[in-house]
Amino acid sequence: MTAELPSFQRYQLAFTARLRDPHKQPPLVGVPHERMAVYEEIVFNNLFESVSACFPVAHKVLGKRKWLKLNQAFMREYSANSPLFRKIPEQFLQFLNNADLELQAMLPPYLNSLCHYEWIELFVASSPDTAKPIDIAPECDLANSKPAFAPTMQLLNYDYAVHKISPRHKPKQPESTQLLVFLNTDDQVKFIELNAVTHRLISLLQNAPLTGTQALTLVAKELQHPQPESIIEFGLSILEDLQRQGVIIGTHH
Amino acid sequence: MAIISQIQGTGLGLKRELIPQIQSLYGQAQLANINFVEIAPENWISAGSKAAKQLDWFVERYPVVCHGLCLSLGGLSPLNVDFLQQVKTFLHQYQIPVYTEHLSYCTDGFKGEQGYLYDLLPIPFTEEAVHYVAQRIRQTQDILGQRIGIENASFYVAAPISEMSELDFINAVITEADCLLHLDINNIYVNSVNFGFDPHAFLRGIPGERIIYSHMAGHYQQTPNLLVDTHGENVIDPVWALLEDAYQLFGSFPTLLERDNNIPPLLELMHEINKIADYQKKTERRFIASEQLAATG
Repeated sequence: MTAELPSFQRYQLAFTARLRDPHKQPPLVGVPHERMAVYEEIVFNNLFESVSACFPVAHKVLGKRKWLKLNQAFMREYSANSPLFRKIPEQFLQFLNNADLELQAMLPPYLNSLCHYEWIELFVASSPDTAKPIDIAPECDLANSKPAFAPTMQLLNYDYAVHKISPRHKPKQPESTQLLVFLNTDDQVKFIELNAVTHRLISLLQNAPLTGTQALTLVAKELQHPQPESIIEFGLSILEDLQRQGVIIGTHH
Repeated sequence: MAIISQIQGTGLGLKRELIPQIQSLYGQAQLANINFVEIAPENWISAGSKAAKQLDWFVERYPVVCHGLCLSLGGLSPLNVDFLQQVKTFLHQYQIPVYTEHLSYCTDGFKGEQGYLYDLLPIPFTEEAVHYVAQRIRQTQDILGQRIGIENASFYVAAPISEMSELDFINAVITEADCLLHLDINNIYVNSVNFGFDPHAFLRGIPGERIIYSHMAGHYQQTPNLLVDTHGENVIDPVWALLEDAYQLFGSFPTLLERDNNIPPLLELMHEINKIADYQKKTERRFIASEQLAATG
């Protein structure tokens, strides 16, 4: 197929093949090694720095050598489809999620979850300017109205306690973990650890037109709790707390 | 709202690190020579609400120009029309009158995707490449409904298959695409050292009437005959001499300082911006003097 290309494009293809895999691809005929090395370094370092800046914990947990190998594989095998530099880490995640078996064998089982957790901070920080919807009343009766959440809020569900991972604390087994992430009114990304019940409560309120009391009644039912009133009372205090933290920004009319 | 004629004087490439300093010194005499600012659309399109607020602040106070990095005019994959539509919307939304790109490529169509490599790679200077790139510039201009400027890029590898000089390539592309020239003074110098030509002779071969604005920057000397275009150092004397020569040849044109790495405090950068402004004033004075001379003579 490449034989049909004009000569300048065949040359360009050989050039980028060498950039993607300097260890295996042949050097270009008539091109000084020292000069080509400038491109090989710049192109890889750009990618490496973008990825490393987003995943500092993954970098530390894997260690320098494995992290480098992983990034070299990313350079070699992944075809990036976004012109936005900001999307490089997201594309790295896609690469991880589609990693072949050989690569997976080299990586700890929690790595994809950890990287997702590290990336979501960047993602939420750059979510579009979502002005408060107009139908939200700031004065709140959380019990009898439908709570409105910060527009950037996301519920997260991981198989590992991703927020506790560090080089000294590598998870030995899965641990179901629920987190909430959102952008507060000062444009700062905040994480909150949730228990399974609160996670369920927020998920219900997000996905159905329920008031606080209605959602809590459902939760109590699901839990088959003998005293639903205590769940409702306790749950309303959680919603008030979420409101204080800026996760709930008012109620829908 | 800015129009193209408001892009004048001296400007500064807008880096996030510099924003708080510009905002706190805004309106003071020290910053008087920041007449316009430049942003890369790739860094500001859908960049979140904090970035949008910052951009609003600048658009209200300065004419803004867009200088792209990833359009890949010489790329192997089809022109990214979706992205170009985003750029168009962005230019319109912020009333940005100027969009320029590099005469280079950053996509190779790897695995049937765009295959972005996020850097400015050198296009071989062949006849076929001239037509290919010019057609993509025309396509870009058709989509945007405006002319774009193309920047002479710095590079480190000369393609052995090239059939013409860089200068001939630039001229052929500009003529065929009927686009504008975004003249990078530092890149002329970097390439002149990397490939051994006379930068002042190069200047004499460019279409001066097509210059929309120019760039000044510093570079890194890796070896005596290899300069790397890092934008991380001060501008060196031979590059200043080249700017002065360009002003003498073509008259003063808008000029912007790029500093992307190893960024000093803003007031230090202002020394270089002020120096550009001084060169411009000197040129304007000389032009007025020569016109008066012509009128009285």
